[in-house]
Amino acid sequence: MMEGRCAAESWAEFGLLGKSGSSLVKCGTGTDVFICTGGEEVYVFTAQEKTLRAVLQMPAAVRDVVVSHDEQLLFVACWSGVYCVNVQLLVPSFSHDAGSGPTELKISTECLVAVADRVSSLLVVGSVLLTLCRTDASWSLTLYQIQRTSQSDPCDLLASFSLPLVSPKVQSDTESRCVLVCVYPGDLMPASSPPHPPRSHYPLQPLLFRRLFGAEAALSKSPVVLCGLPDGRLSFLPLRIPGSRLRILHSLEQSVVFVGASAVMETDAGCAGCLIALGKQGRAVLIRAGRAGLEGGGGTRFTLGCVPGPVECACMDQSRVYYSTGSDLLMVDLWDGSSGTAGRQGDKEDEASRSNPAAFLTPISLNVSGVVALHQPARSSAGEVQLLSLSVRGRLQSIRLPVRTQEDSLSKGPSSQVGRSVGDILSAIGDICERASVLKTIIRSKNQILKQLNQVVNISFLLSNRSESDLKPVRCRGSVRWSRLLQRDSLNLTCVLENLSPFVLERGWTLSVTVLPLSCPLEAGGEASSVNYSFPFSGLGPGESVEVSLPVAAAGDASFPVTVTCSLLFSLWRFLGQEEATAPLDLQSACFSLPLNTLTVDWLHALRLSDPPAPARSSSSPADLLQGFISSRQLRCRGGQASRPEEYSARVRVSSELLRDALGLAPGSPRVSLLEWLLSEGCGGVKMERKGIKTDGSSSVICGSAPDNATVKLTAEEVNVEEKTKPLVIVEVQVKSSSVAAVCGLHHAVLRRIQTLLQKAGSSRMVPTTDLRLALQQAEEQRGQVWEASSVGVSSGQTPPLLLRVYQQLRDGPLLIL
Amino acid sequence: MIQSTSLLESWTQENNQLASGCKLSSHVFLLLCLSLSGIPPHLDRAQLELSVVYNTCVCFTAQSQFDEAELLLTQTAQRLLQIAGDDPGTSDPSVLWRTALKSVTGTALHRRVLSLLCLQWGVWLAKSRLTAVQDFQEVSLLEAQSGAVWNDCRAETKEKISNIPILVLDPRRLVDLLKICTAIVQGAERLTEGWSVLSALQAASASPAPRALIAYTHLLSGSCLAHMNRPQMALQCYRKALETDPRCVCALYQSALIYSRLENSQAEIQALRILHSMLLLPSTTEPAMAADRLLSPSLFLCSQSLSSLLSVPSALSVLHSLALKCVIHSRVSEGVECYLDLLAALQSEDQHGVRVHAAVSTLPKLPRLYLEAGAALLMARRPADCMALCDEVIGSTLDLLPEKVLLEDPVARRVAGSGEVTEEAENGLVRLLWTAAAYLLQGHCYSQLKDWKQAVTHYTRCINLLVKVHYKDTDKDAEQGVDLCVLQRLKGLSLAGRGISFAQIDRLREALRDLQLSRQAHPEGVSARRWYGEVLWRLDRKQEAAACWEQTWSNPIPSLSEALPVYAQELQSGPLLDSAELRQKLQELGPT
Repeated sequence: MMEGRCAAESWAEFGLLGKSGSSLVKCGTGTDVFICTGGEEVYVFTAQEKTLRAVLQMPAAVRDVVVSHDEQLLFVACWSGVYCVNVQLLVPSFSHDAGSGPTELKISTECLVAVADRVSSLLVVGSVLLTLCRTDASWSLTLYQIQRTSQSDPCDLLASFSLPLVSPKVQSDTESRCVLVCVYPGDLMPASSPPHPPRSHYPLQPLLFRRLFGAEAALSKSPVVLCGLPDGRLSFLPLRIPGSRLRILHSLEQSVVFVGASAVMETDAGCAGCLIALGKQGRAVLIRAGRAGLEGGGGTRFTLGCVPGPVECACMDQSRVYYSTGSDLLMVDLWDGSSGTAGRQGDKEDEASRSNPAAFLTPISLNVSGVVALHQPARSSAGEVQLLSLSVRGRLQSIRLPVRTQEDSLSKGPSSQVGRSVGDILSAIGDICERASVLKTIIRSKNQILKQLNQVVNISFLLSNRSESDLKPVRCRGSVRWSRLLQRDSLNLTCVLENLSPFVLERGWTLSVTVLPLSCPLEAGGEASSVNYSFPFSGLGPGESVEVSLPVAAAGDASFPVTVTCSLLFSLWRFLGQEEATAPLDLQSACFSLPLNTLTVDWLHALRLSDPPAPARSSSSPADLLQGFISSRQLRCRGGQASRPEEYSARVRVSSELLRDALGLAPGSPRVSLLEWLLSEGCGGVKMERKGIKTDGSSSVICGSAPDNATVKLTAEEVNVEEKTKPLVIVEVQVKSSSVAAVCGLHHAVLRRIQTLLQKAGSSRMVPTTDLRLALQQAEEQRGQVWEASSVGVSSGQTPPLLLRVYQQLRDGPLLIL
Repeated sequence: MIQSTSLLESWTQENNQLASGCKLSSHVFLLLCLSLSGIPPHLDRAQLELSVVYNTCVCFTAQSQFDEAELLLTQTAQRLLQIAGDDPGTSDPSVLWRTALKSVTGTALHRRVLSLLCLQWGVWLAKSRLTAVQDFQEVSLLEAQSGAVWNDCRAETKEKISNIPILVLDPRRLVDLLKICTAIVQGAERLTEGWSVLSALQAASASPAPRALIAYTHLLSGSCLAHMNRPQMALQCYRKALETDPRCVCALYQSALIYSRLENSQAEIQALRILHSMLLLPSTTEPAMAADRLLSPSLFLCSQSLSSLLSVPSALSVLHSLALKCVIHSRVSEGVECYLDLLAALQSEDQHGVRVHAAVSTLPKLPRLYLEAGAALLMARRPADCMALCDEVIGSTLDLLPEKVLLEDPVARRVAGSGEVTEEAENGLVRLLWTAAAYLLQGHCYSQLKDWKQAVTHYTRCINLLVKVHYKDTDKDAEQGVDLCVLQRLKGLSLAGRGISFAQIDRLREALRDLQLSRQAHPEGVSARRWYGEVLWRLDRKQEAAACWEQTWSNPIPSLSEALPVYAQELQSGPLLDSAELRQKLQELGPT
């Protein structure tokens, strides 16, 4: 729509902007402009001669600058207080040669007129100076009386008002400035004010004024101070009403950057019928007077709108808002003829715009980048608008907007280009360059993010398309080992994540491991015992692996088997380079979650092997038997019947032939290799790290201790039996322990392994897996009962019979697998 | 030894230079003090050291750095005990000082230690630690006895003045100041606790002290007497306080309160008037203590109960109560002047209006002030001015009025939270009452101008507004009660006004209806009842009229009260019925 490019003319360079203070351009006396570049200096620039007239060196970084109504005094807010400088000092004396450079003034603490901590903004209303400061718990607006006689005396404190902070977290951003403006009823012209209202002072339509601030404020014709705070609140204070206080007008929910007022209708006669506030992220609110007689007597319409942010700074003239996003300068016509003047706009249309705020304000780009501070626009008699701006590089430029009439936009002849000086065009090119470089970096980072997102999506597809049984190209292997740390034994699982896919797992992925004991009672709240571990890793190429280690169980903890679920996570916030803590709450959980395989750690994994007992015990020589008998007698005699721990046992029988086939062994002694296999083979994706299994020749025996510290004996023997009148050689695995839990758990583990073994072999051979499954179910049931029994408590009378029943069941059914 | 002596002399000289210098600063004294404390304590140097400590502490106290002063004093006491080889084994200041004083009894150091002890007293007083001060008072008796010794010492040392370290403040003056300040603070504390402290205060008022402080003792005596229900004696005391210190505005304010209690309205108005003019003088709130003095008495008078006894409302609040009193006690023209002054002050551009914030305002809301002023103008027969004021109120409130106001059940409202009511001060009902009252006053104005049609119009507007308020229960609770009462009265008054206006233009039926309704809304309305009788009479229902008049004969129109806004009361501004005529009519009726 706006084809005519604006002309940006560079006037002066002030060097790169400082960080400690705020960047400002404010009009001063006559054609003087006060410029702060974020450091400790205030520059006085004459727009007429385009020269730097004076430099004020302040004791600290400058936060705000304001000129008194009579244009005699300049107030400068630093971090620690407000300084007052007589403007006359800035005018070069007659003896002073105009060509000899700017006057330099060092401002000392003698000029300090108000001591205040953390001053954020200043405003002068009549003979009252207002400061807005942030204290630890509140915002405080303080009123001072300006001294007319001698400006070096400290100002009298008139009053102070405070508004508590919402929450410290929201307002961690202490650097952002607050906005202070003054509005007064439009039918009142302050006698002492200059004919043109000073910056930050707006005459308001009397009806709107009454509606917003009440009858009392209207009756007293009091000026009202509006504060826009970084927490988004817009609060107001009527100055002249006894006992008034700061109250909230509206909350923008984002840092308020600009508050202004606009004259909407022709009938307004110079006073504004609409208040506008702009937030940092582009949210805007327009406040107008609605129809009379609405419920509650309010009748003010708050229209919410939205402009593309972020808003760095803004200014406005009669009906247009100019604002900078840092990369571009934009202009918003509030009451564009095409969208309907507010005066003619009906309520219905207004409702529509409220429901769809994005459509409400459409900005027009002016193609000027890097603007961090704007000065109130000046309109020449020809209708040309001139803006003064300060760029991020510290350049003061005058931006001249072409005359905006319908004809102009239609017949934009080259004649407008002819008169433009080469300097204008050069500086415009410079602006475009700056803007292009800003845009380029944005595009580069966006590309980077897209590439990363592509990788993530690839991996997601790869991993989510397969069923659980398939081997996933990215998976975990595990191995367990007992380790001793600080006198405590614990079972550690080392989990190896292997990337066998052709893609790179880039930085940002997290391996999440959940450890869940299977046998925890569900009614006691199953989730309580599950533990989750996250391991962020930085990049994993194809074929590479990464190893993590985590504790599974401690000694004495008998809650096996344990399921270890592995999954890969990728948080979307990684794309934006933000930590999760700073992300908005609803987006913190936004992530890709890809389940990998599941590992199981069972009783056999957790078995701690000890040396087998003296061979005498297994080889039953008569002397040993006797010795054993005697010792047992002794025990029995000494401790009575109950003291002898009962031994429980359970058996699993497998046909030797089957085993041989399944294990792929030569015909020999399958029992030894069966035990070896049971203890060493990775089952459920988990391996055991053991030194070597000691077995003796004929009947292999393995002794160890279960995690609940009960001693356990595993034996495997070849036995000849007759099954369905057929002689058979079978291998019998027997589990013996004084602990029922251990016996049950181990029995279950042995069965499970044989099941997987036979399933593997099953493809080539018919295996009675149904029987096996039945046995497995039974074993699981028993394990559950044991758990129940132990969780009910040993003291209750029901436990022993129950355990006995389980034991009986175990004993009675030595399963035979053919 | 020679070196030490010369050092001693140079330190003494330094102290004297500092003390006689025009600008006293605690820093330089503290430096000297530190250099002295660097050397081990010794009796020879003790004299000088104690003097320097005294000077430092006086400077600290003058700058309100009481903590620093106290720390230094305690350290000095400990050093003194080191010299004496005494160790009380405690850091409790009062024990320390007692032991220290005992150890130096009879030596040349005694009076120096005493003067330091006085400073400690001052610090305690400034920090409102009155129990510590009380403990100390027995020691102060002891000090009084030794006063004679001091003078001797002084006469003796006058000869070799150069060798004696100069003190920045004469300890005797310090003692005098502390004595009276203690009496004042203790008096205020006990008075708040309900004790009688007359004798102590009267004793204090005889002591040599600045006028302002003496005035405070009189003032406190007065407050004490007022508590004891002896208003006349209290007034005497306040008068004495004012005689002693004419700037003691608090005495004026207290007198006004007592006059108000005695219902001596003329005197009260007089007192308020003087009080207001005193408050407008620059810097009257801060009693001007002698500027040349080092220690200001206000340093020691920071007790909470004292400041609450001494507090005076702001000038604008005083002006408002003055105006209201004048209007109520039929000094209408004065009241009008005051109201106009008040409105001018509130409108003024300068800092005066802003400064009101400083004190907690007791002023009513601005529209109410306008309406009160309007009522006063009406009573002063200035209807045009009254109408202008009412126009302003109507202009600022009219488009903020709700369509209707529904007052909830008072019980439910109380449950909803009483804090809400004060929060939303300018709610719909209040605004509506303001606007209605403005219309009522305009109606009164027109009836005063005998423009009956306009009067009827404005009364009607008022009535139309008032009927927008709906409420279920007439149970009056404390908060809404005043508003409801005002509502009823406004209804009664506007209906009566309209009825009277109708009667004036001979629309007797409407007049009778309105007056009847008015009697229902506000049964106490006297003029409505009299006019009701008049209209009945004119309708030739003479017996009824006579009955009605008989009923209202005895009670006159009640005088204005402070409980309700002036504009919601009967202002006697409209047409009056001549009572002699009424009586004549009754007599005519009698025989028939």
